[in-house]
Amino acid sequence: MNFLENLPLATKKFILDLVEWVCGWFCSKLGIQLPGWVMPALLTLVSILIVIVALIAVFMVMFALMSVFERKILARMQNRYGPNRVGFFRWRLCGLFQPVADGIKMLTKEDIVPRGADKIVHFLAPIVMVAPALILPVILPYGRGMVPIELSSGILFFFALGAGTELAVFMAGWSSNNKYSVMGAMRAIAQMISYELPLVMSAVVVALVAGTLSPNGIVEAQGGLSFGFLPNWFVFTPWGFVACLLFYIGALAESNRSPFDLPEGESELVAGHLTEYSGFKYAIFFMAEYVGMFAINGLLVTLFLGGYQAPFAFLDFIPSWCWFFGKLAFLAFTMVWVRATMPRFRIDQMMQFAWKLMLPMSFAALISAATWYYTGRGLLGWALSILIVGVPYLILGYFCFTRRHTADNRRYLFSE
Amino acid sequence: MHDLIQRLTSLPWDQAPQWLFLIPALFMLLGAAGAVMLRNLIHCALCLTLSFIALGVLFIALGAEFVGFVQLLVYVGAVTMLILFAILLTPAGEVAASNNPFRSFQLSRALSAVGGAMIALLVLGTLLASIFFSPHARAAVTPVTAATAPAAAIGENLLNHTLLPLQGTAVLLTAALIGAALLAKEEKQS
Repeated sequence: MNFLENLPLATKKFILDLVEWVCGWFCSKLGIQLPGWVMPALLTLVSILIVIVALIAVFMVMFALMSVFERKILARMQNRYGPNRVGFFRWRLCGLFQPVADGIKMLTKEDIVPRGADKIVHFLAPIVMVAPALILPVILPYGRGMVPIELSSGILFFFALGAGTELAVFMAGWSSNNKYSVMGAMRAIAQMISYELPLVMSAVVVALVAGTLSPNGIVEAQGGLSFGFLPNWFVFTPWGFVACLLFYIGALAESNRSPFDLPEGESELVAGHLTEYSGFKYAIFFMAEYVGMFAINGLLVTLFLGGYQAPFAFLDFIPSWCWFFGKLAFLAFTMVWVRATMPRFRIDQMMQFAWKLMLPMSFAALISAATWYYTGRGLLGWALSILIVGVPYLILGYFCFTRRHTADNRRYLFSE
Repeated sequence: MHDLIQRLTSLPWDQAPQWLFLIPALFMLLGAAGAVMLRNLIHCALCLTLSFIALGVLFIALGAEFVGFVQLLVYVGAVTMLILFAILLTPAGEVAASNNPFRSFQLSRALSAVGGAMIALLVLGTLLASIFFSPHARAAVTPVTAATAPAAAIGENLLNHTLLPLQGTAVLLTAALIGAALLAKEEKQS
């Protein structure tokens, strides 16, 4: 089983050796004497390329599979079949080739730019959207020793790049010159800014206890068992459980998924900032959303679910990268599950939830984690941190969610 | 072919990283110029964002990872959004009126040129003074790396030695936000 564990790294080393051998052979054949720095520079370049190609290939395949499985799972939960026609020549394969058909359809569609649109910004918005989404996954540790880029402040890098999404949504909405687009973009930005606070706060909680901002360091801090049966994953602590739930809800909101899909609410806003996009630009937005969703779920796995670590030592025969992708697939499945079961929020409910419940709870989790840090993993730490998280939850729950809320009478600005 | 490869490899490639900073610097200057010269306010804001991003890239290229990430997070994520919201919330007519406070076109132009030049000189002078009179100016130059500027050291500095300016900035930003809300809210009662 050691072979499977080392398979990705061994493949990379094999390709690098191959490149080195081929180059050496060519140079000796042509009789060229290369300076000493050429070969290491070339090998660095090739190893960077290998990582980029592998990441993009893996995430594209995951996006394609997700798009078909999401529809199949939704269909199963709604008692229908879902896409099951597209196959490879005469083999139907349960509709597994649906993403290929979708891709061809999107590629061949006409790319429509509205006459009143701001052409340059309209063109740039999908690029600004997809570039950060594709760079985000580089900091995640996919397995033991499998971090594409090891950054000492990787968590910060993740959130810094995530800020580009808001910019892209604004650019898309504003440049379309369509009131539904602008309204959708404004809703999306308001939602992202509101939910980014609890999201970042719950990541801060983990950084506080682990004492590092490096994703690999955080995964390593979650090794071992406490009380002999409980893995030391942060989700199995009182503060970690709360922070994990907050992070999960924040991740749903950041990736604009149901029940937080108000920015694209079809019945109210056509498709929000995507209204005026068609063809491949639309597909790029769609892709960026899904890759961003995988990346943020990967960060959740890293922060709270022990990353690439197996829960118990006897399960170590399964390779570490299988654990990572297994946890990621489970989280993606739960997101589809939530989409199938939850109705969409109303906008005032959404704002209330973020500012009145999630933000105070993330502060409570922070204080609880600080207490845990000083009392340790003993019974005292458990009791205190449960108390610090539980009391605010009961109080907030009583005040926020026992009375019925209706939207206030609003005076609309600039409506006449 | 043989000759070309020999000539290409004999160029001083090992000094290339020193010149790589020109790429983000160029984007930064372009963005800044666009922010000043374009007519559409949203375009100006987007150009300013380009400048912010290039500055973050410059920090990262110089080895100050943490500062670069914070630059991206704060300026691209928050400040740009604040600027864009401010532009959208402020009625466009008011902006056009406030851009031209004087009747005489020539006079307004001359006055704004003088004012702009004075502000630019003031900022430049402050920057130069703070660079030349700081104790670090006379110290030997050590390259900044992740090892010499770790996140922990920066955090300790921020929360121990410069706590008061940090809090002051926070209050200032909150005041600016409240001011923006007031500006947007002011309208005729119907």
